[in-house]
Amino acid sequence: MDIINEAIQVFTQAGIGDAVRVTLVMAVCSVTISSFLGISLGLLLEQYHFPGKRIIIRVNHTLLGIPPVVVGLLVYLLLMRNGPLGMLSLLFTIKGMILAQIIIITPIITSMVYSYAVNTAPAVRAFAVTMGASKRQTKILIVKEMKNEIYFAIVTGFGRAISEVGSVMLVGGNIEDRTRTMTTAISMLKSQGIYTEGVTLGVLLLVFAFILQWAAESFQKRELENENY
Amino acid sequence: MRIINLKKQLGRFTIDIPYLELESGCIHGFIGENGSGKTTTAKLIADILKPDVGEILYDGLDSRSITMTAQKPYMLHTSVYENIIYPLKIRNIKPNEIEIDTMLKKYDLYEKKKQYARSLSSGEQQKLSLLRTLIFKPKFVIIDETLSNLSAESLELFENLILEIQKARCITWVLISHQPHIINELCDTVHFFANGRLIESGKKEQVFLYSQNPIVKTYVQRQVFGLLKER
Repeated sequence: MDIINEAIQVFTQAGIGDAVRVTLVMAVCSVTISSFLGISLGLLLEQYHFPGKRIIIRVNHTLLGIPPVVVGLLVYLLLMRNGPLGMLSLLFTIKGMILAQIIIITPIITSMVYSYAVNTAPAVRAFAVTMGASKRQTKILIVKEMKNEIYFAIVTGFGRAISEVGSVMLVGGNIEDRTRTMTTAISMLKSQGIYTEGVTLGVLLLVFAFILQWAAESFQKRELENENY
Repeated sequence: MRIINLKKQLGRFTIDIPYLELESGCIHGFIGENGSGKTTTAKLIADILKPDVGEILYDGLDSRSITMTAQKPYMLHTSVYENIIYPLKIRNIKPNEIEIDTMLKKYDLYEKKKQYARSLSSGEQQKLSLLRTLIFKPKFVIIDETLSNLSAESLELFENLILEIQKARCITWVLISHQPHIINELCDTVHFFANGRLIESGKKEQVFLYSQNPIVKTYVQRQVFGLLKER
């Protein structure tokens, strides 16, 4: 009971609740935009053949492995007062952090959607042709048939967004009540030797991650269990 | 429908058909060994594949009225019912529930109406695929080995269904099958494929009994021998 009371106290403290809010706002916004970009790009890459397609796929795969802190640094250089996008005044704001997150998450979603589409879309397209579906109806059907995989890609992106430290620390600046996220708060609390709050936030992050993974897996499991191989 | 100078390269395999006429209102059989080009030709007709060279003259047939079912049919990630009504849905046709229920009952799928389609056995999936194909009343139907996993009883039902539809609406069919009795019972004409080429076309008796082509003769002898062995 003491632990629960202590946890409740931690959340009611000023700053921690804000960190949770900032984390969720940043994650939801960046994942929404990245999902739109990643799903569209993944499906377009599967459907169309054009010069430079392989290069785009390779660049995308390379971006999967790019250290977030490097992305953070690049975005920081872009958004700093003397940088090319300095006039937008996005440095040390949630919007700036969202931009960095989009650069990190979009390649993940693109890559996952592309891989699923390569395996699924040709069969769906052939089926749609034989049923007499129009081009638009075929596209809708492909997305519907890949809904589980798309959902899984979005959840993976969200998991990445809420657990990100390096880039948000650099771009957001870890400003209390404004750009401090759960992860940057944990990092700061640890450096101050305040472990209880840090661990509580860590547990909360784990709970978020668990809920998301559980939802994604149960979604997929339900269909796999029913499939007749 | 006429196919003229059709060529399609798929890896090392090439389909080369100088001329093929599929008379409308007939049941045509595509026969030949595995990898002879039957399915590829069917996919070209159904517009799933595009030819590299040549053309297919549909003679007034709308591409939406041509359909094809495969040996391992694609099942949508949804229920049996939703699968059946998909072609109606995309045509904005309201499904006739009584008609669908009667059809499902006749083909032993009624109890599984709400079941996840991918959980059906392969034979049931083939039945579902055939019903889904026929529900929107197409004018040209290609059945690519979709009758291969059916029980004798179901096979007879579908053979009768094909003949009933043929009698009522006089549509064009292409049956691809390795089962000689299906070809023999249903088809008017047969087209024999080997190594990506159409090597013989004609009335089934003419091809089965009087062909002078050694490949066709060997194939027919093997099939007849197989039939005798089964009996």
